[in-house]
Amino acid sequence: MSGVGPVEPGEGTHVQDAPPAPLPQRGPLAGHFERHRRVVLGALITSAVLAGSGYLYVTRPRPEPPPAPPYPNQVTDIAYLRPGTTSSNTASRGFTFEVEVITESGPPVTVTRISQPYAGLSVTSSPRTPFRTKAGSPRKITVTLRVTECGNVPRNAGLPFLDVTLRNTRAIQVHSFILGPQYAQDLSRALQVACSNKFG
Amino acid sequence: MRQRSLIAITAALAAGALTLTACGSRDEDGGGSSDSGNGGTTVVIGVDAPLTGDLSALGLGIKNSVDLAAKTANKEKFVEGVTFKIEALDDQAQPSSGQQNASTLVADKDVLGVVGPLNSSVAESMQRVFNDAKLVQVSPANTGPSLSQGQDWQTSKKRPYESYFRTSTTDAIQGPFAAQYLYNDSKKRKVFVIDDKKTYGAGLAGTFTAEFKKLGGKVVGTEHINPDAKDFSAVATKVKSSGADVVYYGGEYPQAGPLSKQIKAAGSKVPLVGGDGIYDPTFISLAGKGSDGDLATSVGVPLDQLDSAKKFTADYKAAGYKEDFAAYGGYSYDAAWSIIEAVKKVVDANDGKLPDDARAKVVEAMSGVSFDGVTGKVSYDEFGDTTNKQLTVYAVKNGAWEPVKSGTYTG
Amino acid sequence: MNELPQQLVNGLLLGSMYGLVAIGYTMVYGIVQLINFAHGEIFMTGAFGAITVYLYVLPDGTSMAIALPLMILGAMLVATTVAVGAERFAYRPLRGAPRLAPLITAIGLSLALQQAVWAWYPDARSAIEFPQIDGGPFEIGNVTIQTGDVFLLLAAPLSMAILAYFVMKTRTGRGMQATAQDPDTAKLMGVNTDRIIVVAFALGAIFAAVGGVAYGLKYGQIDFRMGFILGLKAFTAAVLGGIGNIYGAMLGGIVLGIAEALSTAYIADIPGLDQFGSQSWADVWAFVLLILVLLFRPQGLLGERVADRA
Repeated sequence: MSGVGPVEPGEGTHVQDAPPAPLPQRGPLAGHFERHRRVVLGALITSAVLAGSGYLYVTRPRPEPPPAPPYPNQVTDIAYLRPGTTSSNTASRGFTFEVEVITESGPPVTVTRISQPYAGLSVTSSPRTPFRTKAGSPRKITVTLRVTECGNVPRNAGLPFLDVTLRNTRAIQVHSFILGPQYAQDLSRALQVACSNKFG
Repeated sequence: MRQRSLIAITAALAAGALTLTACGSRDEDGGGSSDSGNGGTTVVIGVDAPLTGDLSALGLGIKNSVDLAAKTANKEKFVEGVTFKIEALDDQAQPSSGQQNASTLVADKDVLGVVGPLNSSVAESMQRVFNDAKLVQVSPANTGPSLSQGQDWQTSKKRPYESYFRTSTTDAIQGPFAAQYLYNDSKKRKVFVIDDKKTYGAGLAGTFTAEFKKLGGKVVGTEHINPDAKDFSAVATKVKSSGADVVYYGGEYPQAGPLSKQIKAAGSKVPLVGGDGIYDPTFISLAGKGSDGDLATSVGVPLDQLDSAKKFTADYKAAGYKEDFAAYGGYSYDAAWSIIEAVKKVVDANDGKLPDDARAKVVEAMSGVSFDGVTGKVSYDEFGDTTNKQLTVYAVKNGAWEPVKSGTYTG
Repeated sequence: MNELPQQLVNGLLLGSMYGLVAIGYTMVYGIVQLINFAHGEIFMTGAFGAITVYLYVLPDGTSMAIALPLMILGAMLVATTVAVGAERFAYRPLRGAPRLAPLITAIGLSLALQQAVWAWYPDARSAIEFPQIDGGPFEIGNVTIQTGDVFLLLAAPLSMAILAYFVMKTRTGRGMQATAQDPDTAKLMGVNTDRIIVVAFALGAIFAAVGGVAYGLKYGQIDFRMGFILGLKAFTAAVLGGIGNIYGAMLGGIVLGIAEALSTAYIADIPGLDQFGSQSWADVWAFVLLILVLLFRPQGLLGERVADRA
């Protein structure tokens, strides 16, 4: 009948009193919802707000994380300055020299160890390791090599180097610093003197 | 008698041909790298490297890295009004091809700088051509000291060619560094030194030997191999009977790989040590399983320790090059970028236009170039050598190169 | 340590490979008096045939026990096809031409084959890894022999035996001898010389293919230029042994290989010659030997006749 319109009521017809509409038949769940509507709605809204803000939080325009500090061997430089002057005691049995430790940028670098690879020499430094160098403030370090055994000393090394353990917040690294021809010359001269004195 | 003289002629031909192993061919996929929509002038950066043959793994890495630098400069509009293009020529690691390529590049008026070559011997044949044309050349890989410091670099340094620059450290440091490492850290005392008689190999073996002897080590044998040969069994047998505890090889990986393999196969389990010429994954695949423990020194520190290299590595990947950037990728990028910087200086100083004598101006500008590159701070000293003198010892571990120790030359 | 036995073995191995390739030079020369300079490239294509079978025909991880025979077959197939094709299309049209024409053609063909492999074979622009036979080296006394070399040590004498049998006992083989002695008379006697020439090219290619596989097994890599130097050395070996003589080819190869090994090992020990003793001088000494032999025996070590049939 739909679409046709209401049939005109005939004679003697009248609108019956509608019986009271029965309560809609719903399941027990719906009843439950009916009873706890506020709580459920509240929970829904809360979770929607949480999800939304979570999404916003995750996708928020974030400031770039601060770049990791550079590796210490990339910002540290050690330059040979000159042979040092120390007590004649050490001078006769070794070689003292000054170097400058420079940290170019980034967080401070700690020098945790200075060594050198030759078997017949031992190393001490002043100040003693570990010490820190900050970017922009170079430190002068006095390094003393002591001859322990003349047989194992490089009397004529062309490019001797120092092995330095460097540490900053990024990493710990052992790096070799080849201090150049002047260092090589001064070193071999000093070692030749040291070792000839010992036997002479 | 006709026949006998025919045999004689062909025998002579054969003997002659043995020395002429080059066969000419050229890779043509060089140019056309850049989007030319930038307008204005086009500046071509030439590339010369072995793009085919044994050393192509290194050469293609150089070419791609320069290409990446050119593209990056175009994208960033680094030099206003200038579009960079590359023109890559293949030298097949042959000095004669290198010289031809140099002339080709000089003849192209748009070329304002050249990156390359890989081999020091090739560089020797190109330097004069470029210098006469006042065309700047930056090698990412040459390590022979005489290229920038003259033949008598050990006694009196004198720069032979004003137009020659390089981003790699020289063998004057590399050879001794290896000697120090072997003598002091690895406690090796008896070395067998082999080289391939080429500029790079012989030079490197020379600086190594000198330092190793000074330290007190002993050279128990020397040998020069023929780079065209594949059979080194006779040499390997000599190594074994010499009782050496380490072999130093001055040369490149196409020979070093088989050499290492044949030395181990001959029953002498000593490491083979070389320079940057053997620092390539191809060495390991050629040398096989026995290569674990072999060592190489190479220029610079490992790229993954350099924050500046991260962007390069990512960009290289994003650009989708087929080949790896290999040992000299970062140095090639920096070499190309220093040319780009120099061009920028020249253009900026000339009201945003290229001057007529752009080539000479670029050469002048090079010495003042200084920027933070892929491999660290890039600038050149009075010889055209890089001021960033870092080296790393790598060892083969489980079929891959692993960094062992790095050093900086601060003298 | 006495390194002489090891150096002799090194030379023997290297020389056997020269010999396998030299057979092709000597057979073709013996029959058509053509120095087939493209033979080194036929050796190279053989090696590429073998690697093609391994990489693209066989499934990954096929054991070498199964793969190796198939690779040898593939190598022979490719090398023979190239050699017979070269004969048919490059040399046969020039059969009546002056002798220098086919020689130049051979050199051109050599370059063309190299460049073709370089341009069209996948990844051939740098060296291609060749599969290896597993198993450690064998120690006999203080001589070490690699697993890959065992193949060469077996293949070279076996190939020689088969070749000798073929040339001496079979009808085709006797036809070859007849053609070598006098092609016109052979033709009159009913020998199909065209066919004999094709057989000579094919046989040479088969041995070159075996050599190519041996090269791959020995050195672990092949590349498009591998045939150039080795071909020249093999040609030298053929001349040294007496070109035209198949035993001479193998003997010449072995003498050449041993000369190279020994000059690398010992020349430097001779006082005053230490400058000339390294491996880079081995080729020079090998050619000095060649010149000396040719001075006293122009026909080569085993050459009975340098065919002066004019």
